[in-house]
Amino acid sequence: MRRSGLALLVANSLLWLATAQAATRPRYGGTLRVAMGAVPSSLDPADAAQSGSLAGRNLSSLIFDTLVALDERGRPQPALAISWQAEPGNQRWQFKLRRGVTFQDGTPLTADYVAASLRVANPSWKISPAGDAVVTERDSPAPNLPAELALGRNGIAKRGGTQLLGTGPFAIHQQVAGKELTLAAYNDYWGGRPFADSIEIAMGQGFRDQMLSFDLGKADLIEVAPEQAHRAATEGRRVESSPPRELMALVFAREKASPDEGRLRQALGLSIDRGALSNVLLQGGGEPAGGVLPNWMTGYAFLFPTNADVPGARQARGEVRQASPWTLSYDASDPVARVVAERIALNAHDAGLQLQLTNSSTADLRLLRLPIASLDAGVALTALEADLGLPQSKLSGRSPEELYAAESMLLQSQRIISLLHLRTSYGMNATVRNWSEAPDGAWRLGDVWLGAEKP
Amino acid sequence: MSFRRKLLAVFALTVFLSVAAVTAIVSSVTRRAFERADEDRVAALVAQFHREFNRRGEDVVHRVQAIASGDEATRMALAVSHGSPDYGAFLSVAKNIAADQQLDFLEFVDSQGTIISSAQWPAKFGYPESFFRPAAPTDAFLRHEDLPDGGALGLSAVREVNVGDKPLYVIGGRRLDKDFLAGLELPAGTRALLYQNLGSGFSPQLLIDPLGTSRPPDPLAPLIQQVQQQRQEASALVHWSSDAVDDETVHAIPLTGQDNQLLGILLVGTSRRPYIGLQRHIGSAALLAGAAGILLAIVFSGWAAGRVTQPVEQLAIAAREVAAGNWSARVPVTSSDELGQLAEAFNRMTGELIGQRERLVQTERVAAWRELARRLAHELKNPLFPLQLTVENLVRARQQSPEQFEEVFRESSSTLLAEIANLKTIISRFSEFSRMPQPQFQRVDLNELVRNVARLFQAQLHSPDHVPIECKVLLDEGLAVIAADPELLHRALSNLVLNAMDAMPQGGTLTLRTRQNEEGERAVVEIADTGAGLTSEECERLFTPYYTSKAHGTGLGLAIVQSVVSDHRGKISVRSQPGAGTTFVIELPRNPDKLPAADSSGSIPTAKS
Repeated sequence: MRRSGLALLVANSLLWLATAQAATRPRYGGTLRVAMGAVPSSLDPADAAQSGSLAGRNLSSLIFDTLVALDERGRPQPALAISWQAEPGNQRWQFKLRRGVTFQDGTPLTADYVAASLRVANPSWKISPAGDAVVTERDSPAPNLPAELALGRNGIAKRGGTQLLGTGPFAIHQQVAGKELTLAAYNDYWGGRPFADSIEIAMGQGFRDQMLSFDLGKADLIEVAPEQAHRAATEGRRVESSPPRELMALVFAREKASPDEGRLRQALGLSIDRGALSNVLLQGGGEPAGGVLPNWMTGYAFLFPTNADVPGARQARGEVRQASPWTLSYDASDPVARVVAERIALNAHDAGLQLQLTNSSTADLRLLRLPIASLDAGVALTALEADLGLPQSKLSGRSPEELYAAESMLLQSQRIISLLHLRTSYGMNATVRNWSEAPDGAWRLGDVWLGAEKP
Repeated sequence: MSFRRKLLAVFALTVFLSVAAVTAIVSSVTRRAFERADEDRVAALVAQFHREFNRRGEDVVHRVQAIASGDEATRMALAVSHGSPDYGAFLSVAKNIAADQQLDFLEFVDSQGTIISSAQWPAKFGYPESFFRPAAPTDAFLRHEDLPDGGALGLSAVREVNVGDKPLYVIGGRRLDKDFLAGLELPAGTRALLYQNLGSGFSPQLLIDPLGTSRPPDPLAPLIQQVQQQRQEASALVHWSSDAVDDETVHAIPLTGQDNQLLGILLVGTSRRPYIGLQRHIGSAALLAGAAGILLAIVFSGWAAGRVTQPVEQLAIAAREVAAGNWSARVPVTSSDELGQLAEAFNRMTGELIGQRERLVQTERVAAWRELARRLAHELKNPLFPLQLTVENLVRARQQSPEQFEEVFRESSSTLLAEIANLKTIISRFSEFSRMPQPQFQRVDLNELVRNVARLFQAQLHSPDHVPIECKVLLDEGLAVIAADPELLHRALSNLVLNAMDAMPQGGTLTLRTRQNEEGERAVVEIADTGAGLTSEECERLFTPYYTSKAHGTGLGLAIVQSVVSDHRGKISVRSQPGAGTTFVIELPRNPDKLPAADSSGSIPTAKS
């Protein structure tokens, strides 16, 4: 009697263990349903309007590979290129290509295709195939070229014909412009076939609609607004948040015209209560930012002050005799942007400055969300300067001192007032397994597999 | 101005004044009626506005009360009572509740007036509520709501949530906007606007017009500013264009808030289109009536004038005829009124004049016959007396001295024959006067005629039988040719020259002058002497036939002259004073109608010398 009970117990335990192991073992198959707010006008990685955004980077990483990838610490790692070498002076580089890589139509990846693709994204570079390698020549030293090649815009694409093809884990299967994109798993992906058979992406959905779809079970993976992440999590939803990967900032349309205008810009910067923006308006979905790059990237961001100094702002304002009102534009499709802009206007009013909110494209100030383009701080800084149309810093190396100086120079130009570093948050249901992001924040949906059970 | 025109002017003025008076009265009555109707409409609309205001206010109060009683408010009040609340936790609360309760404004405010959560301005958490008053009325009231893009007027209510130590205030409301005004039932031709008095001066953007007319609201600025200053109702006539039809009577009613501050102005506009249209109709009708009246006045005045002036004109015509010598002119008597009596009197007068003239003529004729008889008797007596003496001498001589009878017979025969010739002369002169011929008109050069007369009497004027008489001939060489009988004119001028010579027995100056009269229409011939002159009485009787001042003569010479002048349709007059000589003035018309149709010779015949 005791032996039979013990046997039964052992049998039950073995059965449970087998079931549990089956539940955690990756499975192939299924369709991952994703909702996002952006509507990329183009999937071409070289399209500058798309490659710089997080959404563009997310989609690009599913379809295209770059020659180089960056690890968590921003160090270049092999991707389509297995090795690289720079000649003295860092102007001429050679990247040796990985063998056995094919495009999604089966065409082998060659140096010619790589060179052609890179030329589209970088017209000023001299790029030439050299056997199974690609040689790039720059007009000036480019010590961070590998990190640059890790940017999404340098994804290798085969253009021409009716379809855009990459070497990534998913291929474009079907597209309804502005609404839906269906990606199908590429079975011969050099990094291994992805687990999911396909990904269905619904585009152009606001945060509220995405949340509704999620709650109704129509979406497996959604974007969560920074100010909603905390609440969504407390309401029992599964929310994954990244380190801050976006900069929310005020950007002036032109250079300051006079020292008086510089004082007024200084007054504005001192008047802003970043804590209220972060803690209240964004519900902790961001961190007050005094500098351009986040602290986790540079380690020195804390040196830039973030606290409001209203008396100092009033004093700076008082040194100027007359101040004309400024116009401030924001993204009307972003619900939190309007509230942030209104709060900034209130803070400015406390300092004696007038900000008028507008949707005009010719406003004096713009409230922008700028993605951190690269894990490489230098590349990220120069990419941000390029996005803003500002002169790019000349960085010879990657030393923190040089970076700090360059970032300080940018801030001293008073063209930009950093406000917050924003996290990206995603909501996903329990069927989504093995979720992770690339160090640069891009989706790694190739590693995601769909669990059988539903929550 | 003629009587007809005077009459027309009087009638026209009467019509004009009548029509103008009636028009003015009707216009005044119409205006007052419209003003009364306008006042009634405005009062009705204002009452309706207040009813709608109260109704919506009650709804707002009800909703705010529900919110204040809800869980969210309680939770918030608890958080506030525990200290500084987590604004982040309540950031969207007001907005969500406001959406649920269909409120435009909702704020949660702590006892210090600090905003905890705001639906209309979420970013304003932690800031003081600009218009917060702890002691708020229980009913809804008008309130200035602060908004990021300015301000707005709201119909709001306040409720207190007393949970814990410190109260929480719930301020909720609805916007006063186009929908509120559109909900009012407006009479035809009336519209309602709302001016949000959220700043100083006038700003067109603050005017709410549910109809959204395109015309700029600047004409309303003076009225609005007046209400802003005086805080009282006011009215004004607003001109939207140069056409009076577009005018609008606008009444402005101030709307006050909690502290009696002026927050809004309700503008009620009443179109003056119907009134102006009616005024124009009245004006058109007045014009038509006036025109018709004047037309009638013209017709009536013409008829009346005709009735009055025609008899007067007939009277005037008859008077002119009488003045011209036609004493038989009569005025028809067409009525028995004063004009008829006047016509009768005129006819009686002319009848009497004719009678008197006939009597005068008869008297003069009798007098003339008497004078003729006296003259005849005188003239005939002279030759008859010698005849009688001669015959008596012959009888005596035959009886007493037959031997001398032959000589006496011879002497007596010559005396008898001379006196018989004298009698024949006298008789022939009388016969000649009675048989004066009708003038034969020809082209006559008066200057030449006068020269001929002067030449004719030149010898007599310098005859050694009497003192010489100087003859002056003063002719106007520009004198036009006239139509006349040269023979008769020559005779007439000769008679006058003879009379002038007879008036200067002691010599003197005879002047023959020709000229044109002042108007240039007549030829004038003057025969002047420097004799003894005539008295005024003699001048009057001068042209009476058989009147003569001479001891000898038939007295027919001047009568012949007058007859000739009269036949030529001329005029003769005399100027004389005793001792100053006498001047006879003959005026002769040109008589162009008397000229023969063909006068091919073109010569100017003159009288025979």
